[in-house]
Amino acid sequence: MKPDQQIPRNALVWIIISLFTLVAPHAGRLPVWVLAVYVFAAIWRIMVYQGRWSFPGRWVKAALIASSFTGIYFSYGSLIGLEPTVALLLTAFALKLIELSKLKDGYVLLFLGYFICITEFLFSQDLMIVLYSLINVTLVTTALVAMHRPGEHQFNRKTIRLAGIMLLQALPLMLVLFFLFPRIGPLWSVPIKSHTAKTGMSDFMKPGDISRLGKSDEVAFRAEFTGDIPDTTELYWRGLVFSALEDGAWRSLNYYDIPASERRPQMAESVGPSIAYRVIMEPTQQRWLYSLRYAQPQTPGVMSGSDYVLFSPTKLEDERLYSVRSWPEAALEMDVSPWRREVELRLPGGSNPQTTSFARELRARSGSDAAFVEAVLARFTEEPYAYSLNPPLLPGDNPMDSFLFDTRTGFCEHYAAAFVIMMRAAGVPARVVAGYQGGEVNPVNRTVIVHQFDAHAWAEVWLEGQGWVRVDPTAAVSPDRIEWGLERALAGEGSFLTDSPMSLLHFRGVAWVNSIRLRFDALTYRWQSWVTGFNRERQFDLLNSVFDGISARKFVLVLIGSWALVLTPIAFALLRKRKRDTMSPADKAYLLFCDKLSRVGVTREVGESPLQYGARAARNMRPEASQIEKITQLYGTIAYRRNGDNVATLERELERTVRRFRPGRGT
Amino acid sequence: MTQRRERTNARARLMHRLRQRFRKWVNRRIPPARSVTLDQRRIFIFPSKVGLLFALALLVMLITAINYQNNMSFALTFLLATLFVIGILHTYANLSGLTIRALRANPTFPGQHTEFSVQLERGGSREHFALHLKWPESTASLVNLSDQDTVQVHLHLPVGKRGWFSPGRLLLESTYPLGLLRCWTWIDLDLYAMVYPQPLACAELPGLATDQPDGAAVPVAGSDDFHGFRDYRQGDSLRQIHWKGLARGQGVQTKQYGAYADRSVWLDWEMFPGVGVEQRLSHLCYWVLQFEKNNEEYGLRIPGAVIPPGVGDRHRDQVLQALALHGRERRQQ
Repeated sequence: MKPDQQIPRNALVWIIISLFTLVAPHAGRLPVWVLAVYVFAAIWRIMVYQGRWSFPGRWVKAALIASSFTGIYFSYGSLIGLEPTVALLLTAFALKLIELSKLKDGYVLLFLGYFICITEFLFSQDLMIVLYSLINVTLVTTALVAMHRPGEHQFNRKTIRLAGIMLLQALPLMLVLFFLFPRIGPLWSVPIKSHTAKTGMSDFMKPGDISRLGKSDEVAFRAEFTGDIPDTTELYWRGLVFSALEDGAWRSLNYYDIPASERRPQMAESVGPSIAYRVIMEPTQQRWLYSLRYAQPQTPGVMSGSDYVLFSPTKLEDERLYSVRSWPEAALEMDVSPWRREVELRLPGGSNPQTTSFARELRARSGSDAAFVEAVLARFTEEPYAYSLNPPLLPGDNPMDSFLFDTRTGFCEHYAAAFVIMMRAAGVPARVVAGYQGGEVNPVNRTVIVHQFDAHAWAEVWLEGQGWVRVDPTAAVSPDRIEWGLERALAGEGSFLTDSPMSLLHFRGVAWVNSIRLRFDALTYRWQSWVTGFNRERQFDLLNSVFDGISARKFVLVLIGSWALVLTPIAFALLRKRKRDTMSPADKAYLLFCDKLSRVGVTREVGESPLQYGARAARNMRPEASQIEKITQLYGTIAYRRNGDNVATLERELERTVRRFRPGRGT
Repeated sequence: MTQRRERTNARARLMHRLRQRFRKWVNRRIPPARSVTLDQRRIFIFPSKVGLLFALALLVMLITAINYQNNMSFALTFLLATLFVIGILHTYANLSGLTIRALRANPTFPGQHTEFSVQLERGGSREHFALHLKWPESTASLVNLSDQDTVQVHLHLPVGKRGWFSPGRLLLESTYPLGLLRCWTWIDLDLYAMVYPQPLACAELPGLATDQPDGAAVPVAGSDDFHGFRDYRQGDSLRQIHWKGLARGQGVQTKQYGAYADRSVWLDWEMFPGVGVEQRLSHLCYWVLQFEKNNEEYGLRIPGAVIPPGVGDRHRDQVLQALALHGRERRQQ
């Protein structure tokens, strides 16, 4: 085939089909007008095909390209970043369809199609997306095959067969390459996602922020423990530490807020039992990672902050897998620095006077800081405080006064903030910790699934001789939240996941639905840990365990061996001489008929015509005479067919009759 | 100056020798035959230009995968790379098992186009697509073997000088199914087209050679005197068939016209003394066509061939063939 040959019509249909299936998963991220360009391009191409319109001229093409650049620029505000780049690529892909006429255009278009599959993976590597992309790859390959079948002027569904077979044959070797190909670091920096929304916790907290997360059923991360899973009431996943209160919002300290000497965490003594676990986080477009307290990262590229939280130097654009070991009983920062003490006591002056005076009064009545903490918690338990996902709005001035003494209804962030403000007012260093609490244990694979609605905020206070101690005021207000999770805690209010009525989590009570959901989640976890989370460390571990040490020789042997193993049978199947069936179905059926007759003693003589033979057999076997005549007649009709006879039908009937023909008793 | 010329000559000699070497190698590998079945000795395969473009696209994909540390992009890149390799087998299988048979080559005059016919036959029930056939100078043909077992291909190409014209090696290539790999073979089908001499007019026949000096009656074309009927023989001109008799049911008879000629017409080698061989043949060829046009009988007598007088398409072909092959080797046609 020469590249300047025309594209067969069959291929054109396949190309248009794959064009639309390729853009479909991108549709949500694209401006609507790009999708309109696709419809427009397809209509134009079909009109050209029908001979009503003509291919665009050079100036029309230039105008189309210029206007799509402009359009992308105005839709995204820039041309830099992954999303505008991909949108540009997708628009070019659609425009290329309009001028598609020669094979060489087809090659460019289809190779671009393969690349568009890859751009989809940059946004999501979900199992579902990957399965869908496999369909896309098959369709593009089918179009490629169809391009090389000249003279196919009609859409041919069967073209997909060969493409499917070839891809299936390619699959095992792809796996070998996937696991063996050395994973090296990025070669240069690439456009990053600039328009994808951040998810999960944000880096500051205002009242209402966490309760907003409490309405989402998305998965935040999954964790797999090496040993037993700790009690879920003990699973306080620390993500952010909020030490600064400004303008009614809590935020963590910036890098430059911290003096250089304080930037590294004080090493704590790792006492008591440790817990080892692995976390796979969903992409958040943020930098912090979640861990249980006193966490030591076991994966390179995970950093420890001065307040014992983990973070990544880069944003989490994809799933992130990391291993951690935690010592829950370790004492943190036994001797707090004067700077740290000052920071963790800082309060904006003059706000919440009622709270401040109340706290100072209560501290004066308590014997120690620890007793003061107990007294505050006791107040939350004894007074009628309520736990709600939809608390009343608080006024801008002195919101804590209003919350503590007036509305008395709040979500975890209200209680944590109120608690910390009271502590700080009374001179006890304290801070808000935000993260997730608890999680759902998946019995299928023993992972802990942490959803967004597990988002939680609690407090840490610094006590003499104990360091930072975790205090969860929410537990005092609503013990159910910690014990059973959010759904039970909100049972009275009925507000659990009211915004996502379709969520499968509503059907946790229906055994089979829940079982399917958990199984799929286990599959997702396996997928993330083995496939999308496969990295240099995992590769090293895998090769070490499978091949018992890696050497260049083994590497080459495995590579060559696997290729030989797969290619040889394929080559054999393809190239073996396939004998053509020279006998027609009618002849075969007739020979079977002769066979059956000779078994009962009526053997066809040499030179005996079917007609003579049939007559003789019919004379010999009266009961079967009509059948014998019918077969003989059918065979004759087929052998001396005229134009217009439907041979296939006759052959089928002959075969059926011969199959049913059972000359039972002989003469 | 001379040095440079010598160097150019040396290079030309080297290229020439290499080309000859290569031709010899191909000849040994794929010897000329009237019918060739393609197997691994005869099929060559290499990535096509499109394949190189594809490899470039794969490289871009791989770099994207590395730079984004994106495992699914790795997977897709590897899947396509493997597809490329699997494609080798499928592309190869598209040519493997095919049989190419030489059918015929129509004779013609120098400088004209003639038709070479070959037949492609598949060895099994596998479908073969986009088989591209071409001789170096010929028109190209693109055929499928999807729903029939054989297909005839007619290719046209200009012929050379008098004698046997060899079209060279037939190129059969295909990039099916993916277009990424080009699979091809060069076959010498041992198929030659006969090229007649270039007809060259000369004013007069310089004295017809005579065979029978005693002046026997010989039916000479162009004479008006009706001589009688005889049964139709193959090669008789249609113009002389007794159509009326045929319509009356008397069988096919040929009308014979008689003229008393004292010589039968022989086109003789010796008619053109002092003229070069090719020119003689050209003149003879011209007169053969003239006689044939006038429907007159003629015979041919040249060194190595004597054809008794006759008329008709078959006779003409026989005579022209003798002229075409004068001094050339004979081969089975």
